[in-house]
Amino acid sequence: MPLSLSLSLKPAVMTENIRINNPNVKYTDTHIEAQYCYHTTAVRRDGDTLTVTPSVSELEFRTERHVPRLGVMLVGWGGNNGTTVTAAVLANRLGLTWRTKTGEQKANYYGSLFQSSTVCLGAGPDGKEVNIPFRDLLPMMHPNDIVFDGWDISSMDLGSAMERAEVLDWSLQEKLRPHMSHLRPRASIYIPEFIAANQAGRADNVLKGTMAEQVEQIRADIQDFRHSSGVDKVIVLWTANTERFCDLTAGVNDTAKNLLAAIQSGGEVSPSTLFAVASILEGCAYINGSPQNTFVPGAIELAVERNVFIAGDDFKSGQTKIKSVLVDFLISAGIKPTSIVSYNHLGNNDGMNLSAPQQFRSKEISKSNVVDDMVNSNPILYHNGEKPDHCVVIKYVPYVGDSKRAMDEYTSEIMMGGTNTIAMHNTCEDSLLASPIILDLVLLTELCQRVCVRPQGSETFQSFHSVLAILSFMCKAPLVPPGAPLVNAYFRQRACIENIMRACLGLPPQNHMHLEHKLQRGFLPRHDNRIYDNVATKRVLSNGYHASQQNGVCAHVVKEATIG
Amino acid sequence: FEPAVMTENIRINNPNVKYTDTHIKAQYCYHTSAVRRDGDTLTVTPSVSELEFRTERRVPRLGVMLVGWGGNNGTTVTAAVLANRLGLTWRTKTGEQKANYYGSLFQSSTVCLGPGPDGKEVNIPFRDLLPMVHPNDIVFDGWDISSMDLGSAMERAEVLDWSLQEKLRPHMSCLRPRASIYIPEFIAANQAGRADNILKGTMAEQVEQIRADIQDFRHSSGVEKVIVLWTANTERFCDLTAGVNDTAKNLLAAIQSGGEVSPSTLFAVASILEGCAYINGSPQNTFVPGAIELAVERNVFIAGDDFKSGQTKIKSVLVDFLISAGIKPTSIVSYNHLGNNDGMNLSAPQQFRSKEISKSNVVDDMVNSNPILYHNGEKPDHCVVIKYVPYVGDSKRAMDEYTSEIMMGGTNTIAMHNTCEDSLLASPIILDLVLLTELCQRVCVRPQGSETFQSFHSVLAILSFMCKAPLVPPGAPLVNAYFRQRACIENIMRACLGLPPQNHMHLEHKLQRGFLPRHDNRIYDNVVTKMVLSTGYHASQQNGVCAHLVKEATIG
Repeated sequence: MPLSLSLSLKPAVMTENIRINNPNVKYTDTHIEAQYCYHTTAVRRDGDTLTVTPSVSELEFRTERHVPRLGVMLVGWGGNNGTTVTAAVLANRLGLTWRTKTGEQKANYYGSLFQSSTVCLGAGPDGKEVNIPFRDLLPMMHPNDIVFDGWDISSMDLGSAMERAEVLDWSLQEKLRPHMSHLRPRASIYIPEFIAANQAGRADNVLKGTMAEQVEQIRADIQDFRHSSGVDKVIVLWTANTERFCDLTAGVNDTAKNLLAAIQSGGEVSPSTLFAVASILEGCAYINGSPQNTFVPGAIELAVERNVFIAGDDFKSGQTKIKSVLVDFLISAGIKPTSIVSYNHLGNNDGMNLSAPQQFRSKEISKSNVVDDMVNSNPILYHNGEKPDHCVVIKYVPYVGDSKRAMDEYTSEIMMGGTNTIAMHNTCEDSLLASPIILDLVLLTELCQRVCVRPQGSETFQSFHSVLAILSFMCKAPLVPPGAPLVNAYFRQRACIENIMRACLGLPPQNHMHLEHKLQRGFLPRHDNRIYDNVATKRVLSNGYHASQQNGVCAHVVKEATIG
Repeated sequence: FEPAVMTENIRINNPNVKYTDTHIKAQYCYHTSAVRRDGDTLTVTPSVSELEFRTERRVPRLGVMLVGWGGNNGTTVTAAVLANRLGLTWRTKTGEQKANYYGSLFQSSTVCLGPGPDGKEVNIPFRDLLPMVHPNDIVFDGWDISSMDLGSAMERAEVLDWSLQEKLRPHMSCLRPRASIYIPEFIAANQAGRADNILKGTMAEQVEQIRADIQDFRHSSGVEKVIVLWTANTERFCDLTAGVNDTAKNLLAAIQSGGEVSPSTLFAVASILEGCAYINGSPQNTFVPGAIELAVERNVFIAGDDFKSGQTKIKSVLVDFLISAGIKPTSIVSYNHLGNNDGMNLSAPQQFRSKEISKSNVVDDMVNSNPILYHNGEKPDHCVVIKYVPYVGDSKRAMDEYTSEIMMGGTNTIAMHNTCEDSLLASPIILDLVLLTELCQRVCVRPQGSETFQSFHSVLAILSFMCKAPLVPPGAPLVNAYFRQRACIENIMRACLGLPPQNHMHLEHKLQRGFLPRHDNRIYDNVVTKMVLSTGYHASQQNGVCAHLVKEATIG
């Protein structure tokens, strides 16, 4: 089956090649190797004195330069997110434009951290800051080059599913339909008790057989996709229905061994955990974009044993994302949020599924802890154990469709018993906000698979921990390794990604100090143009955006499709 | 008096940090990158500057003189400091309320020092990073064109709970502002009714009187250092005129000859000539080029403009958030109404114009940082409306609509209604401004290879965090983004302790295996021998809210 579109493709916006002019950074044909000083401090309390001991760990970061052909398999491919992200990549790849009543619209990736936001590299010769697209810091996959495939319990082809979603402009849908309608999801795992009963009507494309046989089929699907599409690497991402929480039961899902045994014997294992297990066994990173506890202890242990990345939970796209900004802002300004009330209504299939109590409960849990890290960071405002009141309501209102409404009230105590009240009404187009986050999740996961680190004194390089906490930025309820701090604060999370990517280039963390402009006299050397040898000889190799490769939006093609 | 919350003594256990009886001396590596473009390649050249930071440990007795002392901000900040100092509590219908400094960056927010032995992050009050004046120890004085005593002015302001006012009135009513400079054309005509406490004589004589007031306050109160802060009416903008206010010399000459010089510039000049830092909390262009030159010549700190307390503060968070998430704000519309005297003064077109200019540029740095979303020169629509609605008093309403373009032509609309109690939000910012200014006066830096220490630039850009329209030295980047501004303050204060910038990376938790040494308990000698000296909060000294006392007051 032909699987690649042969088009001459230009990126929609400028791209930058970056090279680091420093003897600590070496470019080989295959790798970027950077010597890095990682600073930490240890704090110890003696009575009323805190002793702060700074220390430096020397690390070597090694990043593979070759960007592989990436395939992404979506669970829930025919849903609003699945169709929207597929359509968006197709439209960008084809360079589509379409008319709206206010003019011509071009395809874009607005809302994607890597594609549409920038980072500051430093000062140019004129003293002005030089900002580059986030994706150009390191060699990263371009989303236009992703090959999509996936599963859905609804058999509807993606062209019809896009129409059902009511997300994209009609004139764009007309242009995309020929490309979308021959994409058809593979049959998925359906266990009715895990999702709302109201989903039964969509479930016409479901796997049969025992639980173990279904897991084997998912594995076979991944293998089939990998071989038929020619991708080098597959990442699986759950963007399907929110499931109810799964009981944590000793002997069933507490260890990897028990979990695998439970699958063989047909114990209580959720569809999302079955997908996670199948992915891990295939060596494919698995990302959970919904709130349920897919990653039961046994699933995490299995991922760690197999050195496979897992990440989640629940896309942070709308109301919670702003909450993780506003509450961080208030507390960091010394203002005390005392009550946070969030009302939501939405009318897409996610909303219909969440109208069932057990599924809503999963969502409620996912949304409830988002302010904890910020509250706990400030013992001036909050006594030990004190928290603001926090209430989340979600209602299903079909008329508003995918255009989710979030209404929040933040009441805060200010100086001398005063009150600050912020009421916010946020119209979030749900799938248009989530789709770029899906892309960011898979692109960052793929990058992390090419980065390894060797601490000084150690002989071997190690990878990131299987629980890929750097993806916290995109998740409402971040999954982190045992003992790791949970950070929900938006700007801290973003700084984490930026500074780790800078570390791969041997660049120190952003300090935002601008000291060279703050003293009476300048102290910096003149703009340094010396080129270190290693860099000069290797500069033919690009380390930024890599030219589009010959793949693209594609799929498990059912009919005699000739896309790609 | 005991501080309301815990305070921390910090000591840094590292040979690069030395504690002497008088100073904290820290060796610091400052990292920058120079970027050069060759065709489609950007060459990034990192470099390291070795700097020595030296911070005086002794915290002086600080006096603060407010221009507009009898206004809502002036009375509220004075009352808040008094109430905190006296440890007052008062009943409200929902229970007992304690005095606090909520909304103050230094008093009520925290910074992370690092993980403790249990691996959990240790957060300490921001003020405890370095020796800083405690606001309870500030001695206040000031000027106002209204002669009303501060007790009555507090009542006029309608800001504080009545039961608190009753407890404060005996302390407040003996404080009376000094006569101020009143030039009617600079503020709204509707302020004339308040102007019963004004200086007479020529412009030069009035400046001399302000200088005499500062000297009088310094001597009579026993403070070691005075900072002057404008929290009075917004003035209209001043024309920049060659020969009048373009140089320090011309400005001083214009004052002698009675040229067009605004009251706020006269206060700034008087302060600078007295060697007192001057902070402008209103939007007008107090700092004409001649005033800035004078400050640089005299090595005096100036900072401004316009307190960033409510709507603009949130805007500098939300727009930064949106653009940093790759979302494109296309329209920002801000409606405000307020009913305090600031609102009445701003109801005049020229004064509103000053405010509008101050509020208009707050998103520029963020927009310019993202050439993916915005073409060169492209900006979101941005509209600001302010209306005077007496009924709402000091309880300002800010209504904002942010419309943004998301993926594939989609739209995100955020409508926000924000009830900002204006003076309760501004007062802690006034405290942060003077406390940080005072700290900066005790910090100096010596680049490696240089023989002498230098101070911060006279234009104290580190105060940008608290200002709507930050004044920065020529050529310096203008940063409005809230979290970048906060990181700047935090990282510079950390540098004074030899601590590297916050990196937020948590790498030790992100790899397959840990790589950090065991929790390090070795104590370096220098620290042990010097540890009797506190580096953090300093015990309250025997001063406090005090003033140019008219009656036989004995507070202070």
